[in-house]
Amino acid sequence: MPRIHRFMLRLEAVLAGTFLVLMVVLIFTGGVARMMHHPLNWTIDLATCFFAWGCFLCADIAWRNDALIAIDVIPRRLPDGPRRAVGYFNLAVIAVFLVYVIYAGAWLSWVSRARSFQGIPGVSYSWVTMSIVVGGLLLLLTTLLKLARALRADGYLAPRRTE
Amino acid sequence: MLLVVVAFAILLALGMPVAFAIAISGALFFLQHPELPFTIPVQVTVSQTQNFALLAVPLFIIAGNIMNRSGITGRLLDLASVLTGRLKGGLAQVSLALSALMGGVSGSAIADAAMQARMLGRPMVERGFTPGFAAGALAYGAVLTPIIPPGIGMILYGTIGQVSIGRLFAAGFVPALLLWAGLSFAVWLTARRRGYLPERDRRPTLKEGALALRGGIWALLFPVFLLFGLRMGVFTPSEIGAFAVFYGAVIGVFVYRELKTKGALEALEASLTDVGSVMFLIALSAIFSYGIVLERVPETVSGWILGVTENLAGVMVLVATFVLVVGFFVDATVLIIMLTPIFLPLVRQLGGDPVHFGIVFIVAATIGNFTPPVGAAMYAVCSILKVPVGEYTRESAPLLLAVTVVTLMLIFIPQAVLFVPNLIFNR
Amino acid sequence: QEYTLRFNHVLGPSEPFHEGFLKWAERVAERTNGNLQIEVFHSAQLGVEEDIIEQIRQGANIGQNTDAARLGNYVPGIAVVNGPYFVSTIEEAYALADSPTMQGWQTELAEQHGLKVVCFDWVQGFRHFFTNKPIRTPEDLAGLRIRTPPAPIWQESIRALGAEPTAMNFTDIYPGLQQRAVDGAELVYPNITAANLNEVLDYANETAHILLVNFQVVSSQWFDNLPQDYQTALVEECRAAGQETSEVIRQATEEAKATLVEQGMTVIEDVDMDAFRAAGEKAYEVLGILDAKNKVHAEIGK
Ligand code: NA
Ligand code: NA
Repeated sequence: MPRIHRFMLRLEAVLAGTFLVLMVVLIFTGGVARMMHHPLNWTIDLATCFFAWGCFLCADIAWRNDALIAIDVIPRRLPDGPRRAVGYFNLAVIAVFLVYVIYAGAWLSWVSRARSFQGIPGVSYSWVTMSIVVGGLLLLLTTLLKLARALRADGYLAPRRTE
Repeated sequence: MLLVVVAFAILLALGMPVAFAIAISGALFFLQHPELPFTIPVQVTVSQTQNFALLAVPLFIIAGNIMNRSGITGRLLDLASVLTGRLKGGLAQVSLALSALMGGVSGSAIADAAMQARMLGRPMVERGFTPGFAAGALAYGAVLTPIIPPGIGMILYGTIGQVSIGRLFAAGFVPALLLWAGLSFAVWLTARRRGYLPERDRRPTLKEGALALRGGIWALLFPVFLLFGLRMGVFTPSEIGAFAVFYGAVIGVFVYRELKTKGALEALEASLTDVGSVMFLIALSAIFSYGIVLERVPETVSGWILGVTENLAGVMVLVATFVLVVGFFVDATVLIIMLTPIFLPLVRQLGGDPVHFGIVFIVAATIGNFTPPVGAAMYAVCSILKVPVGEYTRESAPLLLAVTVVTLMLIFIPQAVLFVPNLIFNR
Repeated sequence: QEYTLRFNHVLGPSEPFHEGFLKWAERVAERTNGNLQIEVFHSAQLGVEEDIIEQIRQGANIGQNTDAARLGNYVPGIAVVNGPYFVSTIEEAYALADSPTMQGWQTELAEQHGLKVVCFDWVQGFRHFFTNKPIRTPEDLAGLRIRTPPAPIWQESIRALGAEPTAMNFTDIYPGLQQRAVDGAELVYPNITAANLNEVLDYANETAHILLVNFQVVSSQWFDNLPQDYQTALVEECRAAGQETSEVIRQATEEAKATLVEQGMTVIEDVDMDAFRAAGEKAYEVLGILDAKNKVHAEIGK
């Protein structure tokens, strides 16, 4: 695995973990502050913003770890050739979908930049929308790497020496 | 919409991850509707992550993982072993009891199932349960969570249908007890038939019992403390998961002294994958439901139902069946929002009681979360326990049968639901 | 040619507004021989209000019932309509349509942001404070956590009136009040009966601090493509149905109030209105829309 990629994975996990922890801390603080009669209404806003980022980063982590649930009753019973073909088909369709997600997400972040986040003046909702763009890019990278690994395993690509 | 459903079935059969299958087939609807902005699928997906009620799901997942490392789970298991060690299906019974306790705390079946899968899943498999049956018990147990008040589902139903929320809350208790009894019986029967060995071969001594109780007291107090936090007004139902994480961490660090930095980081790392697999699916499902709303599918179905029968119990059976089949959306909340205004007038028109129907409806919508081919709680538990959906379906059949029988009872014996609210509200 | 408008709102199907929108749809269809159809979606079935507004801006054939606070994100001045004691009668609210400043803001919304305001004659009634202790002066609100919609503009208004604004999900209000996470809410009477909040609230304090005016917004791109007479039908029927619905709500409010009194809620009518009005001024200052407010008031002769 190239060093830059390994670094990215580490960074992704650290960021995702940070977002989740901050989410917990913010919601907890918000509840306690409200009980002390000093409601801090921004804690909820910030927590949902982190929720979006945490969600899509975690989605990539789950996809890379093959933890996204699938129903493989039929593919498991297929002969070797068709099963591999189905695998390629799935990855290709997913890649196309993710390209769309990235494009539409980026476009939406741009055109709706005037939309304010939770009505807070000067804070754009695009900061939230961009989470799906970044998440989409990571998911696409993971999908392409899965595709490359499958191609190598089937002998369509030269095996990587370092692996 | 037909194209969308067919495409979804095909992609699912081809073994594509459910999250992507839902999103990609749902996106086909927008290809058929070029007048809609092409950004909507992305926009509604992001919006799901801004839904404050859904925040409970990752919070309870993290709480489950923290409790595993803080020593709470282990002590809970010791205690369970002492209490139910001679009973067949002990741990599954513990999981049902925990769901009932959690019912007084959280209103989310998905959050409860995910948390318990993390806490009790592995120990159950280690004690000889088949993974499929363990997953089934953990998922179906969560049916109790939204039925025992407070429940988001009841508040939504009451608000949309203008039904007393207090009466709905009161009406939840007896059905929850019946569901608990039904599931408990199904677990016991399965354990007996399978010959799952009891965990202990002799009666525990008094000393063993006292030790286990002392060790497990903080674990037992967990739901009590959460309830306390809720009743004292520290947290709202949407926020209580943050308190659960905090409680698990404090007990682990200061009381049991088992939670170290390494364990906390491991718990967090495990949560990343769990949150990703559960939340990504929930977020993307919004793409699919958009077309269903726009094409007014529920209204059409309501028309079919009235075409079949105009008998009140018959309509309720059909509605429950319909809700069970399509019940794969987020925590049943989408279903309740969409279907309450369609079905409730129907039931009122036929002379039904809105509280009675509400409970049946919420039970059915929640069960829809556990049933194949699509159900958010089922997917959450299966992905956390790494159980194939086919195996889950086979192994959890007795549990499905149990909740179905109870639901039918609730439909045909309205007094089972209405007895408590009538008593309390004196009407 | 046939046109369809998918109109979304966040209120429930039994609210007078939903009936009103259906009436609007029916009459527009009649006047255009069924060529302009409005499909009404209640309970935010099509999505979150802010999402829908962005879809409208992208030119979709979608409409939304919204408020001035949200439109204020695009044209700040228009947020005055959501301020405390901005208008004090329904007639004053209708008169806003003739204010040149209001018209200027609407033009700006349409030309620069793609948001066409069809009409805003939909008045949801006076908002009051609902609590578990009597409120007569702004001082009585001190330290009380009052649930508000999660919008900063709204929160400033409530803060100016003396309470601690507390953002909370609508579905969390009931358990939030039951368990004392908040001490009250500011809502209209029919909200209380609809969500059964009288089960957890004792006092209705008639501060009448906001008369909530709703705006019906569609895409200006879509609107401009409609034939001239369809545009006229859409706007005229919107105003007519809106004014009828506002009247229905005025009656429904009286009925809801009577129901609540009958069920044991105490109504506090001797509220120190002058003190509350004076306190409300502060919100406009904090939000920097005091000049805008005075200008519109001058134009409608208030
Ligand atoms: Na509950
Ligand atoms: Na299902």
